[in-house]
Amino acid sequence: MTLLSDIYYVCWRDMKRFLVQKPRILMTVVQPLVWLVLMGNMMSGLTDNPFTARMLGVEKYIDFMTPGIMIMTTLFGGIFGGVSLVWDRRIGFLNKMLSAPICRASIPVGKMAATALQSIFQVSIIALIALALGVRFSTGIPGFLLMIAITTLFSFAMSGISLSIAIFVKTIEGLHPILNFLTMPMMFTSNAIFPEAAMPAWLRTISAWNPLSYAVTPVRTLAIEGWVWEKIIPGLSVTFFFALVMVFIATVQFKRSIA
Amino acid sequence: MAHIIETDRLTKTYAGGVTAVNGVSFAVEEGEIFGFLGPNGAGKSTTIMMLTTLIRPTSGRASVAGFDVAKEPDRVRLSFGYVSQELAVDDNLTGRDNLFLQAGFYHLPKKEARARCEELLKLVDLYERAGDLVETYSGGMRKRLDIAAGLIHRPKVLFLDEPTLGLDIQTRRQIWQYITHLREEVNMTIFLTTHYMDEADALCDRIAIIDRGVIKVIDTPANLKSRIGGDIVNIRFAEAVQEKIAEAVRAVSGLPVVYSVKPHKGGCIVVVKNVESAIPEIFQVTQPLEVKISSVTVKRPSLDDVYLHFTGRELRNESGSREDAMRSRMMMRRMRAG
Repeated sequence: MTLLSDIYYVCWRDMKRFLVQKPRILMTVVQPLVWLVLMGNMMSGLTDNPFTARMLGVEKYIDFMTPGIMIMTTLFGGIFGGVSLVWDRRIGFLNKMLSAPICRASIPVGKMAATALQSIFQVSIIALIALALGVRFSTGIPGFLLMIAITTLFSFAMSGISLSIAIFVKTIEGLHPILNFLTMPMMFTSNAIFPEAAMPAWLRTISAWNPLSYAVTPVRTLAIEGWVWEKIIPGLSVTFFFALVMVFIATVQFKRSIA
Repeated sequence: MAHIIETDRLTKTYAGGVTAVNGVSFAVEEGEIFGFLGPNGAGKSTTIMMLTTLIRPTSGRASVAGFDVAKEPDRVRLSFGYVSQELAVDDNLTGRDNLFLQAGFYHLPKKEARARCEELLKLVDLYERAGDLVETYSGGMRKRLDIAAGLIHRPKVLFLDEPTLGLDIQTRRQIWQYITHLREEVNMTIFLTTHYMDEADALCDRIAIIDRGVIKVIDTPANLKSRIGGDIVNIRFAEAVQEKIAEAVRAVSGLPVVYSVKPHKGGCIVVVKNVESAIPEIFQVTQPLEVKISSVTVKRPSLDDVYLHFTGRELRNESGSREDAMRSRMMMRRMRAG
């Protein structure tokens, strides 16, 4: 029971920190807006061509792109989730938490939970913007809820990776380049922005193994095609286990690092 | 349980092979303000971190409030409050939220937590600013908030690691007041580390001088000072014949309260047992000798002298690691903010 309470307070703190930083909240709104309006329109010519339209499987590129942006935003939010641990270590807050009788596991798990909540907030905003730009999800509200569930799992996985690295790289200067190095290749070797059908075979292989693609595919299926379970289940289960494994690794690494 | 804090040959050797604390044994009485005095890198913080269960001792034993730090860390954690030398308050929360969060970490029921937050905010004079974000606080206000957070669960022992590091003189005195107030009002045991002599002198009932991981001596500030000898009296005579002055110096050195006399620039430096009774006696023996004392200055030995005596070197900062330097730079920045 104390574990849940401890997770709640660690998460509560990170959420308060998030909500107090007005520019950060503004950026979470502006960034998807820029992506959707700019990228969505820039690439809209693609769908004028019947061949590319078939590759994308949509009538408008923005329909294709919205699920990709949701996962990308979750990727960015999650992958920098470890930064707060480094920060806490530096200002002595980590030691303050560790000198209190709180469950050790609640620190990484609470931070991951806060990152996940923030991703829910961001994904909802993306959905609203997309809605305003004329995007319609074929599975409606229930489908959207499942999309949220997938992005949340993905967020746990990403912040798990981030925390696992932050435990060893103890400075922000050291952590940032590593995290940046991870995100870009992950993004461009996935089907988040470009359809796999348009990729050369080698890239298609990488994309097929990319955890980002596993999260994008079920979300995109829910948004565009509908309840096509054979396309939803594989991605959903891979993302679920990926999240489970990363939460486990992050928690174990954290516990070992402070013992 | 005889003592509230007890250590027995407590030792910490870091992975790199550096022994930061080497076989330290001491005992702290309940209600005492006990000070660890030494330069940076002497092993003060490492000792506090072992007592606060943040790092494990390599060997030896330590207990706080009767619980072994290695065997029952959670019970130890409930019995102490820890205020680290970094200002470990969250700048992005309000003062009140910082305390409420701390109460949550100690599993206080919400209603009680709220009540204690208000009580502590009043205690440290932050009630008016409690709703403001901590990033708008001054260094002293942050330190007070940090101390209040350490008190949220009414601990038996409060660990203060360098409580006034980087604070200005006025704020330091204010923090001292809070510390003595705590001892007087709630009979709290306070364990503090410092590298400020005046701080150890003003606050501590007993002081342990630690140098390179080893305790050199433990005693009350007064006893420590008297251990290095007596008070120092510097006497100057008015212009007189050399023989007369020499005669006066001889007379002074014959006094029973005088330990030693050294001639010095037309006068002498006298080390005495007790300055209050020594000065009248010095006047008495020199009066009939046709020399006039033109000035008398008295210097009581400071803890600086004590430190020098026991460690053979002056108290000054030693260079730390790069990470230490970065942390202290950052802390200074936060201290100055607001």
